[in-house]
Amino acid sequence: MSARYSLGFDIGGTFTDFVLVDSESGTVEFYKTLTTPDDPSEAIRTGIDVLMDRTGASGRDIERAIHATTLITNALIERKGARTALVTTEGFIDILDTQKEMRYDIYDLHSPPIEPLVPRPLRFGVKERMNNFGDVIRPMEQESLDTTIERLREADVEAVAVCFLHSYQNPAHEEEAGQAIKESLDDVSVSLSSEVAPEIREYERMSTVVANAYVQPLTQGYIEKLKKDLADAGYMRSLYLMLSSGGITVPETAEEFPIRLVESGPAAGALAASFFGAQLGQSDLVSFDMGGTTAKMCMIKDGEPSMAHTFEIARVHRFKRGSGLPVRIPAIELIEIGAGGGSIAWVDRMGLLKVGPLSAGASPGPACYGLGGEEPTVTDANLLLGYLNPEYFLGGDMALDVEAAEEAVEKVAQAVDLSVAEAAWGIHQIVNENMISATRVHIAERGEDPRNLTLLAFGGAGPMHAYSIAKALKMKGYVCPAGAGVASALGLLTAPVAFDFARTYTTTITQDNLPTLDQVFRDLVEEGREVLREAGVADDDMRFEFSADVRHKGQGHDIVVDLPWEDFGAIDIEQDFKPHFYETYETLYGHAHYHLDLELMTCRVRATGPQPTVNLPESPSDSPDASVALKGQRAIYLPQWKGYREVPTYDRAQLPAGARFAGPAIVEEKESTALIGPDCECRVDEHLNLVTLFNS
Amino acid sequence: MTSTESTLDPITLEVQWQRLITIVDEIDTATIRTSFSTIVGESHDFGCVLMDAKGRGLAQAQWSPPGFCTMMPRTTRKMLKKFPPETLRPGDVLITNDPWIGSAHLPDYNLITPVFYQDELIAFLGTTAHVSDVGGHRGDLEAVDVFQEGTRVPPTFFYRDGRSVELIHEFISANCRVPELVMGDLDAIVGTHRVGIGRLLDFMRDYNLNDLKELAEEIIGRSERAMRDAIRELPDGDYAFEKVIDGYFEPLTMKVTVSVRDSEMYFDFSGTSPQQENAAINIAYSMTHAATVYPIKCMLTPRIPNNHGLIAPLHVEVPEGSILNCKFPAPVKARAKINKHTAPLIFSALAPVLPGETIAPGGGIFPFYFAGNDSRYSEDTFTVHVLPYGGMGATRDQDGWPPVAFPDNGTLTPTEVMEMQCPVVMWHKRIVPDSGGPGRRRGGPAEEYLLECRGEKPITLTVRPDTLEYPIEGLEGGHPGSLGAVIVNGEPQKRFPPIEMRPKDQVIIRTPGGCGFGNPKERERERVLADLRYGYITEKAARDIYGYQDIARYPGHGRAADAD
Repeated sequence: MSARYSLGFDIGGTFTDFVLVDSESGTVEFYKTLTTPDDPSEAIRTGIDVLMDRTGASGRDIERAIHATTLITNALIERKGARTALVTTEGFIDILDTQKEMRYDIYDLHSPPIEPLVPRPLRFGVKERMNNFGDVIRPMEQESLDTTIERLREADVEAVAVCFLHSYQNPAHEEEAGQAIKESLDDVSVSLSSEVAPEIREYERMSTVVANAYVQPLTQGYIEKLKKDLADAGYMRSLYLMLSSGGITVPETAEEFPIRLVESGPAAGALAASFFGAQLGQSDLVSFDMGGTTAKMCMIKDGEPSMAHTFEIARVHRFKRGSGLPVRIPAIELIEIGAGGGSIAWVDRMGLLKVGPLSAGASPGPACYGLGGEEPTVTDANLLLGYLNPEYFLGGDMALDVEAAEEAVEKVAQAVDLSVAEAAWGIHQIVNENMISATRVHIAERGEDPRNLTLLAFGGAGPMHAYSIAKALKMKGYVCPAGAGVASALGLLTAPVAFDFARTYTTTITQDNLPTLDQVFRDLVEEGREVLREAGVADDDMRFEFSADVRHKGQGHDIVVDLPWEDFGAIDIEQDFKPHFYETYETLYGHAHYHLDLELMTCRVRATGPQPTVNLPESPSDSPDASVALKGQRAIYLPQWKGYREVPTYDRAQLPAGARFAGPAIVEEKESTALIGPDCECRVDEHLNLVTLFNS
Repeated sequence: MTSTESTLDPITLEVQWQRLITIVDEIDTATIRTSFSTIVGESHDFGCVLMDAKGRGLAQAQWSPPGFCTMMPRTTRKMLKKFPPETLRPGDVLITNDPWIGSAHLPDYNLITPVFYQDELIAFLGTTAHVSDVGGHRGDLEAVDVFQEGTRVPPTFFYRDGRSVELIHEFISANCRVPELVMGDLDAIVGTHRVGIGRLLDFMRDYNLNDLKELAEEIIGRSERAMRDAIRELPDGDYAFEKVIDGYFEPLTMKVTVSVRDSEMYFDFSGTSPQQENAAINIAYSMTHAATVYPIKCMLTPRIPNNHGLIAPLHVEVPEGSILNCKFPAPVKARAKINKHTAPLIFSALAPVLPGETIAPGGGIFPFYFAGNDSRYSEDTFTVHVLPYGGMGATRDQDGWPPVAFPDNGTLTPTEVMEMQCPVVMWHKRIVPDSGGPGRRRGGPAEEYLLECRGEKPITLTVRPDTLEYPIEGLEGGHPGSLGAVIVNGEPQKRFPPIEMRPKDQVIIRTPGGCGFGNPKERERERVLADLRYGYITEKAARDIYGYQDIARYPGHGRAADAD
């Protein structure tokens, strides 16, 4: 038997998900088990054993193994990274404290400051300086560097981040200092800002390189252990790791730039959504992944998730914008908000019902779990509204306590003077509204119209909330893929080897300096080739995509423009480039300033290997009769009825491809439950996706 | 509490209210992304507000400076006196920068867009933004009247029926030094209002609303009741506070008496110094009003999104002709230098009744900007604003933040961005030891900048310092933060006309420290040790001020400092 399997495994906060695809038959196996936080490889071994048992395959039969993990995010949130030092330009050690001098909450006088990852005593200034053109205006003083190294040694640090001013223009001093530190100190990992994030704005760059250094030692240890575990299971080939950008890379690169793995799990989810979109023939959609504590939304346009180049990690004030550490890395642009099944409902001093961002988590969990939780949560509300089946939660593995849920929701119901059912609907609706607002802005900021989009819902709670969200946003409909509860792991198998490169190079864009610009891109391409080669990609399979951060001359902020030309050096700035920029800008903001010159800030290159194909088998769709899957009837609450009505419930596992039925209905599967609204028509497609459209 | 008959249940209200906030937040984000100047795009010196058809504040962007958000509705209501609602049409945008109508100095332009739905005026969108230049002299603190400070644009149409009013565009453009930045910002704001109108109309359709009247009454009514309930919990009484501050040519007295009467509060600023003749530090009433109500919102209803209802029970009396309610045509450009003391005055006055909610005074804003010509940086004149702050004051339970925007909000221009735009090198930007006011909770430390002109010809540095001479007291026995300083080539400055920086000239700018809260002798040993280790305080301070005589050289302390 040849190596014909692809294995994806994603370690999440609560569960570790597995997917194994047989490339010959196209069959897919899913498995979900509890994460084992003390030793993540325990869950990994369990999962691999189960899947090997099921398929009769062995480690040798696996062609590719791809991994995503929350390890890095957790280390940053829980502050469990390495003892890290910062070496920076003398006079600038306090940038990590003063940050942007902005408050993330203008009325809360008691909000805590954002604690840097490196405390002040571990920050060291070196006498050196570049100016904004990259010219040395103060040569690096050897003595100052030596003193610093001595202090690093005394401080017994495990990792060092080096960030000098304007190093994005000229990295010479950073490289020299980094080299000296590596040579002098054994077993200390060194990260340079000019390699990790060579972009202007010192706080963001410093924050990024510090975060990289902070997680580097533990990532190295973790990946090495993982490689060994896989080898023990008989897997002979390279391990791949999922990056926040939606590409995958080899361990060597991941260990060098671990911060780029910080959003690997959510990125896999967005890729899974693209994959299902392709199956459905829908290239424009919004992926919606709702679990126990958070919901993540991502706009997918032309089959590609949208990208961002900066985002925040480890927010102090749960999910409040501005309260986290900024990192400048390429990442699939997700919005993540504190809205999940465990989100707690409460009443504020004006008598208004609020939901979240506090979550009951897995412990004590929602009141209905019967694990000691007393606060009313979204899951409790969903149970009381009839959306969840108390006997079939996790396929019946866990009974839900309706009375406990009622008692909990009763508390807020009394405070807002509503019936329990109305309060439960209120909880459901308010958590939806939090997600709707965030999604609406996310879509609008990309200049898109929700009426042209489909919502792709997965995660444990996604299919239950998709109806209200898609309806409020006036979307075409919503789709719940088969195995929605574990579907995001499938995204791992659809990712190409890819890595992103960026360099700040500020200049007015003119025909005259086009050759210089072109050279910057060529240099980045060379870096890309090297990294792809390391990952085993053949030269012929390499692809390079170009983009740039550009603005009107004099403007404060820039936008990312794709550069669709084969040969950038040969274009005409007036005829080709400017119209392209104005059009992109207008799509986003409705206007552009045609009389102004354009200014380039940062050049970007994405280097990718071949796109893997995953072909899942199709089921013949010749059976429009859904009644074979009918389980029974259940009363559910909808506000338009002002009460409960009986609706049919279907067993998803029994629904044949081609089946059609009208809402209202409930569709139950092991890891999730879908609500089909009364104004909807649902169809099971040949891949067993539940495709729900609103009746027009 | 009388509740009028309402179809808005608490859930619908919550949902619709949040949606309105989302709309203004989106306008805020679009403003940053489409603006041209560092002062708007990098420093976030602008605010966005949604108002009802009567011009009352309904929702503000979450990161907007609070002062703008209180002033904007007042500005709108004043403009409506000249342009009554029935004269407005879709596509109109009103503009003014009149300090006595708008936000108290000329650089703040107010743009107000009426929103129509089904031919009815339903709301206003308003943005106040600090533009890069309004003409006038290059000075800041020294002026005899407002006419020197630039061009005053009385309320007028910036757009009429969706078309730009060319005369006013050309007029504003012709009267400033950096028209591309100024017009770029103003037109960007008009664009963000269009985005906002689209979102608001979607909202109306989604909920089948014909107007915002009922929703506005609910938001404002509930907020007002919550504020009244909170005030009622305070003991009735008069709480007075007085302090002496730098002023410009002479020290000034600021005085307030806060009277709590059942569910209302009265603020009387009698006893405050008169307006100043030749110093541009006079404040128009609307700004004093905004700075007075802000602390009350922070202390009593921090979680309720800001709107008109929260200020309705607050009555602010300021003697006309005083520094806090100046008469036209007083010079006002640098009014922030005084205004930064108003909110702390209120916080201090109410400390006896709200000790756990209040905050000690902070260092406040200490802005500077460079202007000049240098072909390596810009084909035209460059102006680059940097808006640093002093340390924040301590609260009863928390040490003050290191330098951060307070009581305004904003962001600091990055050093690399500043250096990219003008021939200046910043040699350091660092925290100053022993600058945070000692206390059981320590004030936030100050920061110090060392700037050098690296151009081939002189450039202008305009700086607006404060708290150089008169320290500000902390609360409950907390000590003052350190004083600020501006030092040009080794010479401390006392007067601040624009500073000519010749090539190689060096300027030190040191912001003030935040003030402490409580007796420093009660500060816990481990906190004092941590401050030593972090280099925030010296051993001498640990011994003499905090009273830890036995603290010997702490192993490893002082290591935080730079190599020198």
